[in-house]
Amino acid sequence: MSEKDQYKNRIELLQGTLDMLILQTLQWGPQHGYGIVQALRLRSGDVLQVETGSLYPALHRLERQGWVQSEWKQSESKQKARYYRITAKGKKQLASDLDRWEQIVEAIGSVMYVKPEESAS
Amino acid sequence: MKWFPGFGFQRRNRELQEEIDAHLQMAIADRVARGETAEAARQAAVREFGNIPLVQDVTRQMWGGGWFEQIGRDVRYALRQLRKSPGFTITATAMLAVAICANSTVFSWIDGTMLRPIPGARDTDDLVSLQRGERNFSPTPPFSYLDYRDLREQNHTFTGILAYHHDWITLTGGALPERAYIANVSANYFDVLGIKPVLGRFFLPEEESRPVPNVVLGYSLWKTRYAADPAIVGKSIEIARHPVTVIGVAPEGVVGAMPGIREDLWVTLDPLGTDVWRMTHRSGGAVWLNVIGRLRPGVSRGQAAQDLDTVMHNIVAAFPDDHLGDNRITLDPMWRSPFGANGYMAATLPILLAFAAVVLLLTSANVATLTLVRFVSRRRELAIRQSLGANRIQLVRQMVLEGVVLSIVAGAVALVLTSWTSKTFAWFFPANSNPLILNGSMDHKVVIGIAVSSLLAGMLCGALPAWRSAHAPAIEVLKAESASISGGSRNRKLLSGLVVAQIALSLPLLVCSGLFLRTLRNLAGANPGFEQDHILTASVGLNIAGYSHDEELVIRHKILDRVSALPGVKVASLTDWIPMTLGHKGDDAYPEGYVPHPHESLQVYHAEVAPRYFESLHIPILEGREFTPDDDEKAPRVLIVDQTAARRYWPGQDPLGKRLRIWGGLFTVVGVARNSTHMLVNESPEPIVYMSFFQVGYETIVQVKTEGNPVDLAPAVENAIHEIDTRLPVFDVRPMRESTQMASSFAVIQSALAGMFALIGLVLAVTGIYGVVAYRTQMRTHEIGVRMALGASRVDVLRLVLLQGLWITGIGLALGLAFALGLTRLIARLLYGIGANDPVTVASVVTLLGAMSLVACYLPAHRAMRRNPVSAIREL
Repeated sequence: MSEKDQYKNRIELLQGTLDMLILQTLQWGPQHGYGIVQALRLRSGDVLQVETGSLYPALHRLERQGWVQSEWKQSESKQKARYYRITAKGKKQLASDLDRWEQIVEAIGSVMYVKPEESAS
Repeated sequence: MKWFPGFGFQRRNRELQEEIDAHLQMAIADRVARGETAEAARQAAVREFGNIPLVQDVTRQMWGGGWFEQIGRDVRYALRQLRKSPGFTITATAMLAVAICANSTVFSWIDGTMLRPIPGARDTDDLVSLQRGERNFSPTPPFSYLDYRDLREQNHTFTGILAYHHDWITLTGGALPERAYIANVSANYFDVLGIKPVLGRFFLPEEESRPVPNVVLGYSLWKTRYAADPAIVGKSIEIARHPVTVIGVAPEGVVGAMPGIREDLWVTLDPLGTDVWRMTHRSGGAVWLNVIGRLRPGVSRGQAAQDLDTVMHNIVAAFPDDHLGDNRITLDPMWRSPFGANGYMAATLPILLAFAAVVLLLTSANVATLTLVRFVSRRRELAIRQSLGANRIQLVRQMVLEGVVLSIVAGAVALVLTSWTSKTFAWFFPANSNPLILNGSMDHKVVIGIAVSSLLAGMLCGALPAWRSAHAPAIEVLKAESASISGGSRNRKLLSGLVVAQIALSLPLLVCSGLFLRTLRNLAGANPGFEQDHILTASVGLNIAGYSHDEELVIRHKILDRVSALPGVKVASLTDWIPMTLGHKGDDAYPEGYVPHPHESLQVYHAEVAPRYFESLHIPILEGREFTPDDDEKAPRVLIVDQTAARRYWPGQDPLGKRLRIWGGLFTVVGVARNSTHMLVNESPEPIVYMSFFQVGYETIVQVKTEGNPVDLAPAVENAIHEIDTRLPVFDVRPMRESTQMASSFAVIQSALAGMFALIGLVLAVTGIYGVVAYRTQMRTHEIGVRMALGASRVDVLRLVLLQGLWITGIGLALGLAFALGLTRLIARLLYGIGANDPVTVASVVTLLGAMSLVACYLPAHRAMRRNPVSAIREL
């Protein structure tokens, strides 16, 4: 039952959006997985809740694609953790992701906010 | 579970574990800082994180890496899933192992016989056996030496043609005489087979027709009788009291050129110069050689047959009197050569392999239903994996892999089982007078066969359900509140389809096994036309022990006198042939004044029997008289013919006094015996002529009619013979009933295997339908509860559940019937006393399967009917 509840309330992220969010988060500085989750939640005002089951696969995939690099470091609370850092290639990817995202938002927006008189003509 | 542990893989795995630990530690620390207790914080953090192994698994998939690592990961995952449900794993593995073993066992028998027709020979695919004249089951040697030599020298399509003739002989000279199977062979025998000696040399071309007393020993004879003497070449040994020189030893495993028969040693065609007549004539007793040729590269069997026919045509034109009957040449590949065992094998084993394949198909369908049910109950997990980024191909691959892992384990089990079952083939052949070496073999071909069939089975029982399950849209599955529908109507259809397939496949198996079992019963109950009970036979190796002709005659009379005088013996006689032992003698016979049609076969079976033979076997003499002691070498040659021969040669006339020319001599008919079985109960009657033992008898078999159990008399008979001469080899002492079992051994093999396969099929089909109906009923528990709450009676519920099962059964039975009618046509030739579409058999099988299915459907229906509707509704 716990598994079911957990997945029921999650917010489906559009394919590719998670990558963009992670890369954006890392723009502000190297961060570990837990930190990324917290940062996303904080900045989205508790709306975006990234599943660990999506986050870690995504991080490892991004690393394989060369968009992020990782290293083990001590955190402020003396906890050894794996920190991810965005690479130059990752920054380029983020830019193109953002472009695409804006196009989508614009496209969806133009559908959603159609002016009535335009549709009537 | 460390499968294919790559170095980097282990390190990354550890790091991932640490990364997740770090995540949890930080989450716990945050919660504690917010004021939660340590324990509550830990629990909440773990809950928030989710399914750790699943996250790890999906993350690992992102690493990519070599295909090896990916497969390793998938295998590990499959093993984990299989370990989670040991019941399913064990059942499915066991069922697949049995089904694969059924296939590999039959295949190992084919491999050991048809695919290895001549052990030790090179490229047996290029070898063909030559047959002259009428094609029949188990023919006698078809060629004379001179005909063979002409064919060998005048053809243009063979690289070599060999000839051989084999028989028992006694090895003397040692401490104990020993019986061995010896072959007279053409000088090129080993050359054509492509065999090189391990010691010494084989025969030279100039030795072929000259009397050179040289012998080549078989490997096992060299080891056992001559203690593997490395200096045996050049030494003299004694065969039937004649000294011969050992010139070579054949390699281990070489047992001669006739499939299924073991030859122990080899000599040339006339090593002692005593068979000059046989070497210089073309008909009668000079027709004594089996012939095998090796085709030139690129020459087809048809071309070769045409070539030989031309040569044979010229021979017939030059010697018409020696070739009166049918002389057409036919060629057979060794796997189905009528000479030796493979003719019988080719008629039986491929059909059994087809049955085994049906069993495997059926088992795959059964395992597929189990798998499908399992996948349906796992669809939430599959949906999660899919939404986490696993694509459909990956999911299918993983599910198929579970099936493949199952079937690989099953294949391994089957491999172990087969190494034993392959050797059980020899059990089916009762003790007999032939040096049979029939058995299955377990070589790379069988291993490949097991691998292929287990992989196919794995794909079948993994792929189909996997593809179906992976098709389910992830979102809908995740949103679905309960499991009230069994994975949608598509899965339901697939499940039903699989059960229909199982019933449709098991029905023909059951019909065929029913037909085989009734054939076996008919064979056992058939009257062969002679007495089988209270008869004891014993072979005396007179002709092979090196006695002179006069000595033989004296000893034969003494044997008859002494054995007749034994207490418990009613009648004693001599013969040189035992019916229904898969052996017979045949020669061309020409009725006086009879002009044969072109290509008419004049071959008849013949047997040489002493006075009182017919009396002891209860074969009535319908006209004329039996042989008497006066029908000896000084008297005119006489014959007794059976009804078939009488009708064939002298239709509508009195056969008594008529004359037949055999081996160039004239024999007068003095009696007509009633027809009896010669070879197989289901043979078509062939003419046989009986000749007087004391005129032309060759081998000596004592035949005794006893008062009590014939086995009890065996020692006394042996003693009586040894009292005449202790050196007389006596062998194959056994009751007639035991000898004639040989004639039904293939019917036994067919019915035993078909019966086993059908039983497996029945169990699988019935458990299959039970499983599916029970599962679907359980899935509908909620619905049934609602129906009952709304007023449906228990009978309504019963009908509801029963009907769905019976629909499936009905369709399965209908399809199965159609399938069975096609399949039984294949086995029609093997049946006796029963039609291929015997309505009684078909009806009883349909009834049996129907009744079993009814029970299988009734049990879950009954359970559903008795459910309390209130608790049923609560159950989701």
